Amino acid sequence: MIRVERLRKHFGAVAAVDGVSFEAPDGAVTGLLGPNGAGKTTTLRMLYGLMRPDEGRIHVDDVDAVANPQAAQARLGVLPDVSGLYPRLTAREHTHYFGELQGVSGGRLRERTDALLALLDMREVADRRTAGFSHGERTKVALARALVHDPRNVLLDEPTNGLDVMSTRAVRDIIRRLRAEGRTVVFSSHVMQEVSALCDRIIVIAHGRVVAAGTPDELRAETGQESLEDAFVALAGLAPEGVE
Amino acid sequence: MTRAVAQAIIVVRKELRDAFRDRRSTYSVLLGSLMGPVLVGFILNGVADRQREVQDVTIPIVGMAHAPALVDWLRQQAGVEVVEGPSDPEAAVRAREHDVVVVIPGDYATRFRASRPVEIRVVSDGSRNVTRPRVQRVRTLLQRYNAEIAALRLVGRGISPAVVQPLQLEDLEVSSAQQRAAVLLNFIPLFIVLAAFTGGMQIATDSTAGERERGSLEPLLVNPAPRAVIASGKWLAAALSSMLSVCITTTLCVAMLRVLPLQDLGIRFRLGPGHVAGLLAGVLPLCLLAPAIQAYLATFARSFKEAQSYMGFLIMVPMLPGVLSTVYPIASQPWMYPVPMLGHHLLLADVLGGKAPGPMVFVASAGVTVFASLALVRLITALLSRERIIFGR
Repeated sequence: MIRVERLRKHFGAVAAVDGVSFEAPDGAVTGLLGPNGAGKTTTLRMLYGLMRPDEGRIHVDDVDAVANPQAAQARLGVLPDVSGLYPRLTAREHTHYFGELQGVSGGRLRERTDALLALLDMREVADRRTAGFSHGERTKVALARALVHDPRNVLLDEPTNGLDVMSTRAVRDIIRRLRAEGRTVVFSSHVMQEVSALCDRIIVIAHGRVVAAGTPDELRAETGQESLEDAFVALAGLAPEGVE
Repeated sequence: MTRAVAQAIIVVRKELRDAFRDRRSTYSVLLGSLMGPVLVGFILNGVADRQREVQDVTIPIVGMAHAPALVDWLRQQAGVEVVEGPSDPEAAVRAREHDVVVVIPGDYATRFRASRPVEIRVVSDGSRNVTRPRVQRVRTLLQRYNAEIAALRLVGRGISPAVVQPLQLEDLEVSSAQQRAAVLLNFIPLFIVLAAFTGGMQIATDSTAGERERGSLEPLLVNPAPRAVIASGKWLAAALSSMLSVCITTTLCVAMLRVLPLQDLGIRFRLGPGHVAGLLAGVLPLCLLAPAIQAYLATFARSFKEAQSYMGFLIMVPMLPGVLSTVYPIASQPWMYPVPMLGHHLLLADVLGGKAPGPMVFVASAGVTVFASLALVRLITALLSRERIIFGR
């Protein structure tokens, strides 16, 4: 479970995140939806402890993530906005490296790695260096290393960005599976179909603020729009002109 | 604490594996380590060859039959070979068939017996620099014979040879043979210090600037490991690579000095395992500092390219004392020893020169160097905590 209260972050005079609050419950997929530059990535970076909020509180399960980011990181599996790999290491070695840093070792590490690589349909390329991997394969490796320590909470920053149809489908399957296992999944996207296909709850962010939150049906009802896309446009337009 | 150590070891292992899988970086470490010993071998061998050539001189003599005693005496001198001279000495020297020709006149025996000066002609071409040492050697030999005969004649007349020698020049050499050799071997410390810099450079830049450029820094820092642990792991991996490089260079340099015919250079000492140990004790702390400086600069750099250009400038710094000391020998002062790089150079030169300073000097140098390294690792840790560094500028 992740709880965010009145989160604020400024870069110079620009308020990138301006009082964001939401709650992402266990066993559900929560989508952060918003146009580019709305503050989704900055919000997630504060959640996974690489940016310090100017104000506000973050709780991951019962851990205060602002005061104790490392304890929060141990409970989080993160696919950041930029997920570069080491071209000279194999897919398996990537998973092992991050697993070991998370404190998983020995037989359990091998089991988790094998299970994840099988789940992601990566068994054939598991022991190849990642240098020649396709974008889809690279994303899968990044997912495997993010999930190797069996985290209760998963943060995915635009996980399907630039993926082909098959890889997108694989990532969606993983997200559904994580939900079925009772985990908290938060993912960000600016793509409407993505969010409507997967999310139990949607947080619409624009200009660093939450402009709407609810189930897809609630959002449609709130705006009086038939399609979710129209609802999104209407909601994003609610915020004043500016920052972008 | 133990978890932090375990995590640091995980980072060290990963960085080393990653680096040594890269052929180019492996070769650059190896080439950097081999360059020194190979150059040392070539240079010393060349110097020794030239020295031998001067010692081994062939003297063509015209009119050998006129002065058998002189010819015999010359033959007895080390490295001297006497051959029959050409019929036209001047033309032969001009045509470069011979470097030098000695001409003994037909009236040698008569004039010699009458104790009158005999004109011995030394034919040479003063415009040829390469022949000059050999001509000089022939001249010196003849002068020595001259002095010996003169002394014998005086003694035969009851006069002490000392009477005709108002001045007696005596060269008092205060440096030991090893020290003189050390001047010649001055570039060995330079190569060893350079190996400390080249050995860890690849890991120091690739694991910092490279990590950020690949976009793998952000995922790495999402792991619950303190920044100090991540920074230390990367630094230690680079330091180990630097140490490997330094060990190869040092061992091979010393091995090279053992194989080369150093006695031809007037160097009468043998380097042994003790010297290797002394050299390593002096330089290994630098293997902690050099990668720390490199990693700090590379973490600070905006891109991998910028980091590499910093490395280019940085490598000049350790070369300064080395290069300067070959031009003007540095008079070593006690305060210089703890100064990183300058002190390392002096320590190494002293060990090679056979007068290693006391253990306290080593400890002081190591102490300052390790302290500076740890301070830099702290700075790297601070950089890795800055959002501007993590997410780029």
